[in-house]
Amino acid sequence: MNETLIGVARPRLDAPDKVTGATRFAADGHVHGLLHARPILSTEPHARIRRVDREAALSVPGVVAVLVATDLPLATSGSDRTAEPLAREEVVFSGQPVALVVAETEAAAEDGAEAVEVEYEALPAVVGLEAAMAPGAPLARLLEEAEGGGDLESIHAGVDEGEQEADEEQLSGNVVDTVNRRSGDVAAAFEASDAVVSGTFRTPWVYQAYIEPQVATAWLESSGTLVVSTSTQGSFVTRRELARAFDLPLERIRIVAEPLGGAFGGKFALIEPLVAGAALALRRPVRLVLTRRDDFQSTNPQSAQVTHLRVGARTDGTFTAIEARMLVDRGSNTGWGVEGITTQLVAGPYRWKAHDLRGYGVQTNRFTFGAYRAPGAPTAAFALETLLDELAGALGLDPIEMRLRNAVVEGDVGVSGNPFPTIGAVEVLERLRGHPLWHERGSLPPGEGVGMAAGYWPGGNEPAAAVCRVDADGTMTVVTSAADMSGVNTGFAVIAAAAFGLEPDKVRVVTADTATGPYAGASGGSKITYTVGKAVEGAARAARVKVLAAASQELEIAPDDLEVVDGVVRAIGAPDRSISVEEIAQKALRFGGRYEPIEGHAGSAQTAGAPSVAAHLAHVRVDRETGEVELLRHVIAQDVGRALNPALVEGQMRGGTTQGMGWALFEQLEHDESGHLLTSSFLDYAIPVADRVPEIDTLIVEVPAPDGPFGAKGIGEAPVVAAAPAIVNAVAAATGARMRELPLTPPRVWAALTGDAPRENP
Amino acid sequence: MIPAPVRYARAADVHDALVLLAEPDARPLAGGQSLLPVMKLRIVRPSLVVDISRLDLRGVHIHNGELHLGALTTWDDLLRVEELRRPALSAITECAAAIGDLQVRNRGTVGGSIVHADPASDIPAVLLALRAAVKLRSPNGDRVIPLANFLVGPFTTALGAQELVTGIVLPIPEQGSGSAYVSLEHPASGFAVAGAAVLVGPSEERVIALTGLTGTAFVLPEGVDPARALESTEIFGDRFASTAYRRRLAVVLVERALERAARRAEEDR
Repeated sequence: MNETLIGVARPRLDAPDKVTGATRFAADGHVHGLLHARPILSTEPHARIRRVDREAALSVPGVVAVLVATDLPLATSGSDRTAEPLAREEVVFSGQPVALVVAETEAAAEDGAEAVEVEYEALPAVVGLEAAMAPGAPLARLLEEAEGGGDLESIHAGVDEGEQEADEEQLSGNVVDTVNRRSGDVAAAFEASDAVVSGTFRTPWVYQAYIEPQVATAWLESSGTLVVSTSTQGSFVTRRELARAFDLPLERIRIVAEPLGGAFGGKFALIEPLVAGAALALRRPVRLVLTRRDDFQSTNPQSAQVTHLRVGARTDGTFTAIEARMLVDRGSNTGWGVEGITTQLVAGPYRWKAHDLRGYGVQTNRFTFGAYRAPGAPTAAFALETLLDELAGALGLDPIEMRLRNAVVEGDVGVSGNPFPTIGAVEVLERLRGHPLWHERGSLPPGEGVGMAAGYWPGGNEPAAAVCRVDADGTMTVVTSAADMSGVNTGFAVIAAAAFGLEPDKVRVVTADTATGPYAGASGGSKITYTVGKAVEGAARAARVKVLAAASQELEIAPDDLEVVDGVVRAIGAPDRSISVEEIAQKALRFGGRYEPIEGHAGSAQTAGAPSVAAHLAHVRVDRETGEVELLRHVIAQDVGRALNPALVEGQMRGGTTQGMGWALFEQLEHDESGHLLTSSFLDYAIPVADRVPEIDTLIVEVPAPDGPFGAKGIGEAPVVAAAPAIVNAVAAATGARMRELPLTPPRVWAALTGDAPRENP
Repeated sequence: MIPAPVRYARAADVHDALVLLAEPDARPLAGGQSLLPVMKLRIVRPSLVVDISRLDLRGVHIHNGELHLGALTTWDDLLRVEELRRPALSAITECAAAIGDLQVRNRGTVGGSIVHADPASDIPAVLLALRAAVKLRSPNGDRVIPLANFLVGPFTTALGAQELVTGIVLPIPEQGSGSAYVSLEHPASGFAVAGAAVLVGPSEERVIALTGLTGTAFVLPEGVDPARALESTEIFGDRFASTAYRRRLAVVLVERALERAARRAEEDR
């Protein structure tokens, strides 16, 4: 084992190919006889489909078929996106796929798509979240009872569901889930508080904005096996969803996870059932590449949320009670939502004497809700962390000091009812407090301000396995089935190198398909390094046992007296008595060889969570006359357990911060009052671009995760959680305006500064 | 995102282009920054695209006290020419530098932008403030009309059938003038939520033009307080920015542009 390899900044293994354009993404592979598909998306937010006129399209040269739901060999009657890749009788959001034109060329498919006519009978559209909950509200879906959408929520985080109890409240049938977390006497705790603050916080639908739109290709092998090559975060979960959609045995489906061009939570088996259904129906290879416009309209962005929040504290800053009522817009997704996560995370990494946290999942005629980096966390942190800033102000306390007085440590029982595992909340806040920007905050020019906020992500778990194999040239191949997202493969390489005793550049990592690879969960929930990485560590150690056994015979030294350093097995204390790993591998991998191949296989089943805390400082300048907010500088401190590769860790910290900046300042998907999407291109939907992103200081805090590989933990989601509230708090510091709706567009900030009533969502 | 079937022809010269444009649904293609996106969305489906991008209509020169901008002059060209490096014309380069990204500035042309007549486009306000006129050619001959008359409404101009914009012409402001362009961009499109272009002369006479507020860019009446003039202007609002916000923003931008232009005029004395 060579721990000195850990903590060294190295380039990503996939960087050269991605930078030079050599990477072959899911849309690039050549498939013989390939057909191209174009979806027909509903133009109505809620309607019955009266008729789909395919005649004109079928007469377009090159068009092979125009498929509707009944043409697909669907096995179930459910109404989630797997069970219903094309709307059957009722469309429930504008942008929902209604038909699929399949043609010999992309252009023919486009010409055909233009010729398809769909006749709708409009139904009342449910677009207002609060109105949708009221008893007697029109229903967002009339014709079919929803079935469970699988277990996608559990992919994301180690979150319990909270109590799902019948509430006394009268609610409409659009409320598909309620969660209530309650403990202690909330009323009495508020009564005993010296300061109580409250507010209603609104966040819009936001889009994952991955560079590569959703794409998948499906075909049948001669054996009848359905193969789907796709841009996905999870090959096994996709296989499971396809088996459910078409009632196929798992062994008849093979999923190939191609290099991802970005995902951020949005790529969990969404278009694959549609593409696979077309290939099964036509028995020819079919590819669907969504255009950006299709992707905006028909995929699964992060939902809008409304949070009513009240918190209290004593004069010394001790938190007393927290009460939340959190409304989550599910859109058409009745299968899963973030009520469980968001009601847990709204309490933050803090101790409370009493809490009453309620979540409501509400179906509406907007999109299909999906995951986006730390689903349910940024919305919760926006409400909590901006209100805590106000609370600190009311009590005259330093906001960091106040949080430190309440920050959880290992063993504190959270609102989930479970004790926190090792958690670096105190360490992160202390580190942030030491940054010079925090001390400069009182001496800034007019119109400028510094704000802070903190948040955490609990991390997820799922059993996983990995294989490490040494070849006759002394190099190692690591095989997993985890989609290579945010650099996890590069992390695996250094884990394997350190655990085995090899130079990292002699390790390559292969992402296997579901037919050949060891099991791994989807790349989401900040769990891959922690779970699959642990399996890689075990597999490399198992391979090391093999090489030591062989070397022991070659050198006639007991294995316990040997070490493996940089690809050489040598006697501890007598390094000249050695044999290279390559030489041993050559002796093993040949006819008549005497040693077992140098291969290891191992698994992991993590049970302890490994939460990551991240805290932010934002420095803004507000133009009081126009309402423009400029982020001048940003600092993030994050507990990453152990930075396996600091370059990648800092990349995640910067990327998360940048996305949080987008949510704070720019991003919102908007529908008009009747439920039609207004923002279906990057001309309407703004994301942070390079010239708007300031210098971001990254402070890596290392509180090792006891069960993680070399102490590492999942770090991808935590950095986005509290970036937005830090910016919002900075705006308050600069102007005194407490903004309670994201994003902080210039007109909204201007309205707050001039006392105009802010515009509410419809 | 594939256009409907369309024929393509490259024009050899302006005469050739005009002949090709005799076809009723033919459309000229210059930098492709406006036409191609709407063709890809099949909002516009010409029968014939006449590629005029190689015509000899590109470049900047000064002649007889007038500045001539060829219709095919790109934004990037504007940033590179010596002729525009004077306080009186700073608004042009200030505007060009803020358009799109380098790729867009390499392709997009001044003429194409004027003909597209997007109500939130930046350059019309700048050219209006500089008292520009549009040079046009058709089989009937050449004509020059003030830009204010050329811009008719949103995406609508006085361009005739089988007529091409060949260039822009404007009087070089006298010594001691300064111009400026200040806008607030929509964070996604980069187009102006509101934009104010100003020319300040040596005796503090001034021309103020605005974009992003109404169907076309327009010039504020002279001698009237800008805030008061904007009070009576019918300004549109949308979900991003209300009418009230745009009106107030326009006043702020005009003030800032005036201040900057006056400072530049000062430098030119």
